[in-house]
Amino acid sequence: MRREPIDPEGIVWSRVSPKYLRVRLIGWFVGSVIYLLIFSIPLILRLAGVWPDFPPLAIAIALPAVVLLISAWRGLLLPRQVRALGYAERDDDLLIRSGVIFQRTLVVPYGRMQYVDVAVGPLERAFGLCTLKLHTASPATNAAIPGLPAAEGARLREQLSSRGEARLAGL
Amino acid sequence: MSVPDPHPGTPYPGPPRDGAGPSDGLLSDATPAPGTVDDSWRRVSVISPLVRGWIALAAIAFFFGRDWFEGLFGPGAREGLPGALGIGLTIALILGIVVLIALGFLVSWYFTRYQVTAEYVRVNSGVLFRQNRQARLDRVQAIDVVQPFLARIFGLAELKFEVADAGESAVRLAFLRLTEAQQLRATILARASGASVAPDASGGIAEAPEREVVAVPSGRVIGAVLLSGTTVLLLAAVVVVATVTVVYRTPFAAPTLIPMALGVAGAYWSALNSGYNFRAALSPDGIRVRYGLLDTRAQTVPPGRVQAVGIDQPLLWRLKGWYRINANVAGYGAGAPGEGQARATLLPVGTRAEVFAILALVLPDPGTVRPLEVFSAGLDASGAAEGFTTAPRRARWLAPLTWRRSGFAVTGTALLVRSGFFHRRLAVVPHERTQSLSLHQGPLERALRVMELQLQTTPGPVAPSLSHIDETAALELFSGQARRAAEARRRSIPEQWMKPIQQPSGAVMPPPPSYGPPGAGFEPHEPPDPPQQDQGAPDSPPLVQGAPDQPPPDQGAPASPPLVQGAPDQPPPDQSPTDQLPPDQPNRQQIPEGPGSHEQR
Repeated sequence: MRREPIDPEGIVWSRVSPKYLRVRLIGWFVGSVIYLLIFSIPLILRLAGVWPDFPPLAIAIALPAVVLLISAWRGLLLPRQVRALGYAERDDDLLIRSGVIFQRTLVVPYGRMQYVDVAVGPLERAFGLCTLKLHTASPATNAAIPGLPAAEGARLREQLSSRGEARLAGL
Repeated sequence: MSVPDPHPGTPYPGPPRDGAGPSDGLLSDATPAPGTVDDSWRRVSVISPLVRGWIALAAIAFFFGRDWFEGLFGPGAREGLPGALGIGLTIALILGIVVLIALGFLVSWYFTRYQVTAEYVRVNSGVLFRQNRQARLDRVQAIDVVQPFLARIFGLAELKFEVADAGESAVRLAFLRLTEAQQLRATILARASGASVAPDASGGIAEAPEREVVAVPSGRVIGAVLLSGTTVLLLAAVVVVATVTVVYRTPFAAPTLIPMALGVAGAYWSALNSGYNFRAALSPDGIRVRYGLLDTRAQTVPPGRVQAVGIDQPLLWRLKGWYRINANVAGYGAGAPGEGQARATLLPVGTRAEVFAILALVLPDPGTVRPLEVFSAGLDASGAAEGFTTAPRRARWLAPLTWRRSGFAVTGTALLVRSGFFHRRLAVVPHERTQSLSLHQGPLERALRVMELQLQTTPGPVAPSLSHIDETAALELFSGQARRAAEARRRSIPEQWMKPIQQPSGAVMPPPPSYGPPGAGFEPHEPPDPPQQDQGAPDSPPLVQGAPDQPPPDQGAPASPPLVQGAPDQPPPDQSPTDQLPPDQPNRQQIPEGPGSHEQR
């Protein structure tokens, strides 16, 4: 992946598992279908003649169309988003990057870490993945790495814990 | 030291109690025996249920009283005058309920006991659902002694012990006698600080000495309240309503002012109440802040517990040159808008000199040789003066007003983030307090090659964020800041801020300054030998003692390595030989002189 201006120099990003894309795609598909169904209700009622003429036909059609468009756009972006996820362990801190259009790079010093979560949802479990989350004393620190292979997640958790302990610095 | 109660179901934990009933509690309360805060289990004051329950009692009295009162004049009052029996029953009923409630509070009081040991503070509470809570003393983030109005009448105070979970206070003891609360605070702070206190300090642990740094005159508080944004809103609303009334010739707009007036009055009141009689003082146990009109509060924030400082100046305050200082303290959390805000305030309204005095308390080592100039530039300058890096010119498309002002400067110990065109803000984050850093870039910013950098600190009023910084500068700051934070953490003062610490074997620590043997006994809780004030040089800027030998001009340059190392290498210039401090606390050394010399002004 090419280096974005937001990436610090000399960082080799570890990427998340490519299988995470499938997790995201399934989630995206289910979500899109639900949204589409909800926003199609006026159109369906209109066509079925339950609502004779309240929502103009144009609006009734435009609603699901817009939803479809947004969903398609998000779906197209998903592969790039998953590829944009990355993390890098440095000596003193952990870097996490994400985002394609709105990009973000986060650095969390090991010594600031209060605890580490590893969470696994049903979909992720099916693909053997997990989500690792670092918590600092600031709730604004949004340091989550989704889509890690389970073994890598466990390794990273142990690694982070031990490094955090070595560099423990209260608050 | 006694162990925590192993049987949560047993109502009376701990060592043998000194009595059996509330009367004994009363007795022991009546003889607080100053100085004997030992490891025994104690109860809060016996009057406290009354103070805590008065609202309930008042509500009952109000409702029953109203019913009875209205009944006297109601239509049925003539024929159905209640007989003596009826009145008696009613009174008995009321009394019964009152007694029940009082009993409830009394029982809950009776089952609440606390203990302060050398390492922990423990509180056992609850009647049916017992709760045993234990908090490490050296995890203290702040201690408040609060006196609500009613408690003040009785000479009582509530003690709040804050740890860094940003939720409710870890330990709340409501209510203690004021002297007892202060005594307890002194004990907790002394033990938390790791200061070597004689184990048989039967004379009690005296409160650490303190020196007043800032006192805000009440006239200024009132002026600040009147010049606040609330006033602007009120005026705007009055103008709108007046216009509507005149143009449409209708009186119906006027009543909308009533709720607004109530709200404004409330805002005025809370600002006045929390700013009134504001005093900040410095003691070896940290910063002491006192304020309050009806409810008074004394807060103590130990050294190194301030996570970020925000100085801001609303537009109207420029007329008077006033500033406000807020701080993020981990234990205070985001808090409720009213109380939380007041608690996080280090200076409700102050002049620039007072701002510097407070800054010197929070950040004893500014990490630059020209702190006054640098911080002044942060307060109200714009442009690149004093080492500030501002947004590049091309960012004016995104921030037409603020691009000149929004910027940052790095000193050896802190990052300064400047922003705001009308409402000026400056955030100061010590390097070792940064929780995490993040860079953000959206499509527009990418097109203009600028970035946003956010610093995450503990919850609080200060949320430092730098917008529209040039890409290269932002990246440099990002990696430099991560490095500086790591470096500063290695040097940061220990959690037990007075504990004489051993020299770590790593090569990171600078060689100890040459005053006093390392690890020499330091007894801060002894009565003070007043720190030698620099009476001769009232003009010496308080923050200057950081690194006197460093070359002045490039103090703000984002990556100037000598400055990062600077401060601890230099023994403070005017060191009185009587002060014997562990080598690792250059900061504590420098605190007293700074604000002192300011006081002279």
